[in-house]
Order: sequence, then structure tokens, then C-alpha cells
Amino acid sequence: MIYLIATILIYIMSKRIYKQYPKAYLTPLLVVPVVLVTALIVLDIPFQNYEKGTSVISYFLGPATVAFAIPIYKHFELIKKFMVEILSSIVAGSVVAVLSSFFLGYIIHLSGSFMTSIIPRSITTPIAMEVSKTIGGVPALTAAFVVATGIIGSIVGPHVIRLFSLTSPVARGVSFGVAAHGAGTSKAFEFGDQEGTFSSLSMIIAAGVTLVWGNTWIPHFQHLFIQ
Amino acid sequence: MKRALPKALFVCSGGVSIYKTFLKLVLQFLLINVFFFLGIGVQQLTQFPIPGSIFGLLFLFIALYFGWVKLEWVEAAGKWLLAELLLFFIPAAVGIVQYPEMAGWNGFQILIIIMISTILVMGVTGIVADFLSKRRKEDSK
Repeated sequence: MIYLIATILIYIMSKRIYKQYPKAYLTPLLVVPVVLVTALIVLDIPFQNYEKGTSVISYFLGPATVAFAIPIYKHFELIKKFMVEILSSIVAGSVVAVLSSFFLGYIIHLSGSFMTSIIPRSITTPIAMEVSKTIGGVPALTAAFVVATGIIGSIVGPHVIRLFSLTSPVARGVSFGVAAHGAGTSKAFEFGDQEGTFSSLSMIIAAGVTLVWGNTWIPHFQHLFIQ
Repeated sequence: MKRALPKALFVCSGGVSIYKTFLKLVLQFLLINVFFFLGIGVQQLTQFPIPGSIFGLLFLFIALYFGWVKLEWVEAAGKWLLAELLLFFIPAAVGIVQYPEMAGWNGFQILIIIMISTILVMGVTGIVADFLSKRRKEDSK
């Protein structure tokens, strides 16, 4: 119960601070885990205790994922209109996400479980953890990489958009959604409603596409390189 | 505790409106949960390698599309769930504490490769989408 209340209180405080000072490094997604991790280490609390105490919060991820049906339904016409752009760029982006994570990890000699767990890092947490399980990774480790991706994506995202001079709302939205899932999507909404909608949809489709990759070519690919 | 909260809200607001809003949110949340459990059930039965929550998403979308569920029945709770999405990720993010390897030089290298990969993914995705949407505009001219 203490862990639950502490997590929610720190989250609310952090959200207030972010509202006042909307700097990328002050996002609650970064600040709250840092505060809590520090607290667990300093007070020598085992993670399992914290995890048990906050399982109610994690439960909400399920219904929240279901709730994504609502914006998709509301903007279904817009989505149908841009289907070709959305699908082709998501397929391209999700392949780049898997391959670049893998090869960059290869270059810095990541150990086996890290290497496998980093592959699905660009998609939304619940599905990334699922893909991780499928391909033999450690779901908790994948969750950590996913969160790191979200934070980094929302910090570098606006610069990337300028760098590649992405002008259409569909391109901006999709690139946020594919590269940085939920955290990227909340950044995309800062650009505009259309960007945000495209981003939330892309995040879902990208997760679905990566799930398919995890059950088809990724295992063969791993076989080829890890031995 | 669970009973005291809405009661306290009722007394504080001194009116029915906040109490009603709260009740509406709870009912809508329960309805979304029905779809969530339906999704989990189907996943268990079929053993399909897709999380139950994604089945739930599909079912809710189908129900909305065919008008079996009205948008107003789920919209408020859905909005709340999506607005507080970051909170629900936090326990998973704290799980990083189990991996001391993520600290120091090793962790720093990992963050750098995540950054490079993220820039590549955003770039490729955005360029493909931008290219296709510009071509469409020229076609329609």
C-alpha cells in the first residue's frame, strides 16, 4: 500500500512540475522511475516487494491498451484515407527498428539476453514484452529498453523532424508512433491533433507488425547471427 | 476506503454532478474491462501469440464500428486511461533496478545505440510516409 501511494504521489507531483516547466528531461516517465529506483536502492527494498505493492497500477495497462480502440474508431475515415502511407512506412520503420537495434547491439558486444531483449524495444510495453518472450528475451529487461526508447524518442524526435524536414502531419505522426510508442505519441500531440492521431494508430499497427516479425523471420535471423 | 472515497467526493462537492461523473467513469471503466477480459479469454482459448489486451482492442473497435457499443459509453473513461498512460508504465520501468549492468559505461553505450537506432527509425519512417503523401498530392493535381 505504501509503494502504491508513494508511486501515485510522486507521479502527480512530477506531472505538476512538468506542466510548469515542460522540458524533455523533466518528463514524468524519466523523473518518477529515477526517484523510485534511487529510493529502492537507498532504502534497500527488494524490487519484488515494490512490484507486488504496485501490481494494481500495472493492471491498468490492459484496459488502457483496449481503450486505444476509441481514437482509432473516431478517426477511422482519416486512417482509411492515408492507409497506403501509414502501412508502407510502418513496415519499413519496424524492420529498421529490429535490424538497427540488433546490429548496433552486435557492434558493442551486448550479451545474449540483452541482445534478444533489445530487439522489440521500439513498440509499446505490453506487446514488446510479449515479443520478447516469444523470441527468448527477458520481458522485464525489454520493458526497461522500451521506456528508455520512449524517453529518448520524445527528446530527439522534434530535432529529427527538423533534420529530415518532415512536413506532412502523417509523416510526423507515424514516425513518432513507430519509433517511440506512447511517449512519442504524447509528444506528437504537442505538434497537433492529426499528428497525435496518426501517431497513436501507428504505434498500435507497428506493435502488431513487430509481433508478426517476432513469430516469423526474427527467430531465423537470430539463429543466423548468434551462433 | 473504496466506499468512503465517492462518499467523500459527494459531501465535498455538495451536489450530485461530481458524484455522477465519478460513477459514470467507474461504469465506463468496467465496460472497458469487460472487453479486456473477453480478450484474455479468447487468447487463453486460442493460444494465439497476441496479448489478450490486443484482442480486447479489436473487440471494442468492432463493437463501436457496428454500433453495439455507443462512443459515449466508453469515451470518458478511455480518455482518462490514455491520459494517465505514463503512470501505468512506471512499475515496469522501475524494474530496471534488477539489472545493475544497466549502470555505468555499459548502460551509457546502450542508451547511445537506442538513440542512434531511434533516429534511424524515425528518419526512414518519416521519409517513406512524406514521399508517398507528396506523390499522392501530385497525382491528384
